[in-house]
Amino acid sequence: MRRREFLALVTPSVLVMGGLLVLPLHRTLEWSLERVNYGEAGTFVGLANYGAALSDPRLGQAVLFTVGLTLAVTAALIVGGYLLAVMVNGLGRSKPWVLGILLISYVIPHVVGGAMFSWLFDANFGGVVNHLVTLVTGQDVLWFTDPWPNRVIVALNTIWFMLPFAMLVIIAGLQGVPGELLEAARIDGASAVRTHWSVIIPSIRGVLGFVAIISIMDILRTFDQLVALSPQAVQLGNESIMLYIFNVAFQDGGQQLGLGSAVNVLLILLIVLMLFPFIRGIAKEARQA
Amino acid sequence: MPNPTTVLRATAVALAVALAVTACGAGSRTAAQSATQVACDIPAPPQPVTVNVLAYNSSAIDPFTNTMVKSCTKSGVTLNHEPIDFGGQVQKTTATLAGDSGTYDIVETYSYVVPQYASQQKLQPLDDLVAEFDQEYALSDINADMRKALSYDGKLYGLPMQAQMYVMAYRKDVLDALGVAPPTTFAELRDVAAKIQQAGEIEYPVALPLLASADISTAYDAALGSLGVDYVDATAMRPNFDRPEAAKAFEELRSLLPFMDPEVTTFDQPRVQQQMYNGSAAIAIMFSGRMNDLSQPTNSRFATQFAFAPPPSVAGGDTLYNVLSVDGWSIPTNTKVDKALLFEMIASAVSVDASRASVPAAFPAREGIVTPESSPYAAAAQQSIGKAPPAEPYPWTARIGNDTRSVVADVITGAVPVAEGTARMQEIATEILAEYQP
Repeated sequence: MRRREFLALVTPSVLVMGGLLVLPLHRTLEWSLERVNYGEAGTFVGLANYGAALSDPRLGQAVLFTVGLTLAVTAALIVGGYLLAVMVNGLGRSKPWVLGILLISYVIPHVVGGAMFSWLFDANFGGVVNHLVTLVTGQDVLWFTDPWPNRVIVALNTIWFMLPFAMLVIIAGLQGVPGELLEAARIDGASAVRTHWSVIIPSIRGVLGFVAIISIMDILRTFDQLVALSPQAVQLGNESIMLYIFNVAFQDGGQQLGLGSAVNVLLILLIVLMLFPFIRGIAKEARQA
Repeated sequence: MPNPTTVLRATAVALAVALAVTACGAGSRTAAQSATQVACDIPAPPQPVTVNVLAYNSSAIDPFTNTMVKSCTKSGVTLNHEPIDFGGQVQKTTATLAGDSGTYDIVETYSYVVPQYASQQKLQPLDDLVAEFDQEYALSDINADMRKALSYDGKLYGLPMQAQMYVMAYRKDVLDALGVAPPTTFAELRDVAAKIQQAGEIEYPVALPLLASADISTAYDAALGSLGVDYVDATAMRPNFDRPEAAKAFEELRSLLPFMDPEVTTFDQPRVQQQMYNGSAAIAIMFSGRMNDLSQPTNSRFATQFAFAPPPSVAGGDTLYNVLSVDGWSIPTNTKVDKALLFEMIASAVSVDASRASVPAAFPAREGIVTPESSPYAAAAQQSIGKAPPAEPYPWTARIGNDTRSVVADVITGAVPVAEGTARMQEIATEILAEYQP
């Protein structure tokens, strides 16, 4: 490839990445060190925004909730996505239809999906699940005001809309497993469980790692669905980091853009920290390949 | 037995059709075609003008917004209005008023926030324009108290459109069956609620919007106001949360919890309406703009059983558990559009015809529009408006209300003792007031 062709192909990407990624990141870092209101020039305040954020126990609780949610839901997505992918992959002509239906929850906006999901647990709007749980256990579960039941419905909702993505990626991975490997396992008399555990899963480890990376990044940024599913999130300790940023920086016309930026920078660091083992694993595999 | 493949296909097609229909209905940007057409005799501008209107969607505001958009969109002038919820409007108002130029040319404001923006010179004073167009739009007929509610430091910053005050809706059939009258105090409310509970059909008879992230601070303000106390003693510039009434307001609100859904702190006004529609509550206290929905037979099988009364007072005084909120139209200082042109638009949106057409969904600011014949809750609203706590037209009021909200929620949910909560609120309010000390 000639130098001119290379530049012609690369320049648009560099410009877009610069405009949409590098520039906002630079501005976020800059604002995190300033006191900023809409329409005004920022005033440098050093690390005051970081100090304010880190000394707020609400942020600590938000990190705990978000990381807990991320770990639990990511594990559920990998296990559930794998099982679902195996089942769907085994279908015949109906596979496109089943896939299409399963993907509906993935394309519904989170806040809409969250509202619809909340109605399943809300006696005021029918509350089918609520009704069934009461029927079976004889107990009224307070899904919106008790911390743990509320965490359960937030996790279930997140799994509900992210599972199709995990399934879809894992199906692609399953289709890449060499037929000879499966044939060899069958000839060796490996059981189905043994084949999955010792042959298929090691073959698609990279795909599972990719699912984990995307899931961690997405769940750490949980926000919209909490509006509907956890209207009392602050009191329950179920405030996600993104909801915390919105509440302290923007709620009711607030303008603490500097504080919001500082928490955003901390969130980026947390994402990098949580992704580090996966990124290191992928890099190692790439070097070995 | 049907073929599973056929069932699967049929389900998929049905879901696809449902999604397509939903998508068609969502996000409509067209003002209601049924909006009232009123006179909007604006002069044709020399150049085409686009006017962006910011107003939240609700059954009480929509008639005015839609009327303005429909009537004032004419040759050379285009009005744009995007549907938005209240929270979104609050955010956008802050953003559009912040700099030298904004996105919106007309903004819907309300009495709670006008002092804050007016004190920062972000809204255009309207007195001169009112004088200029008074006769043409009969602006003198707009209620004087409502004009005062949208004024700051003696100047008018919002042209009043409609008012909202708390109204109590109750199930007449339920109260009649028990032989009890609508409660006029919180003590009576507890007695009536206990009788309904004992009757066994309705487990949680009282419904109040106490959403921890929004309505709960308004409820606390209403209780405190009914006890005759403002957030702040404006003369001494000192918060009032260390007064005994501040604790009593909490105790009185908490005394209603046994009669309300255990998840009431997640209930906003639509959810309270839903409780009334379902018949799972018998008494609700909400803003008057929500009352017309209750009287619609399409919404509830109990529609004909709902009756309306003023809200009770907390401890039996003359001032009711109430908040008077006046909505109006303001013109941002930073708009580039001719302000006289914009004023004519907002004046026609609150004209006699527009105001008359907004009833019974709204309680218009014009005198004599609302009558018991035109609105099922008119009498209750008129009694309520006369016994609301006085407004607190200060720039710090909204900030104190917002910043103390989570403490109010903690106290009402029982997570924080009353004394500790009021002490925290005193501290927060003192810090805010320090910024306004002369």
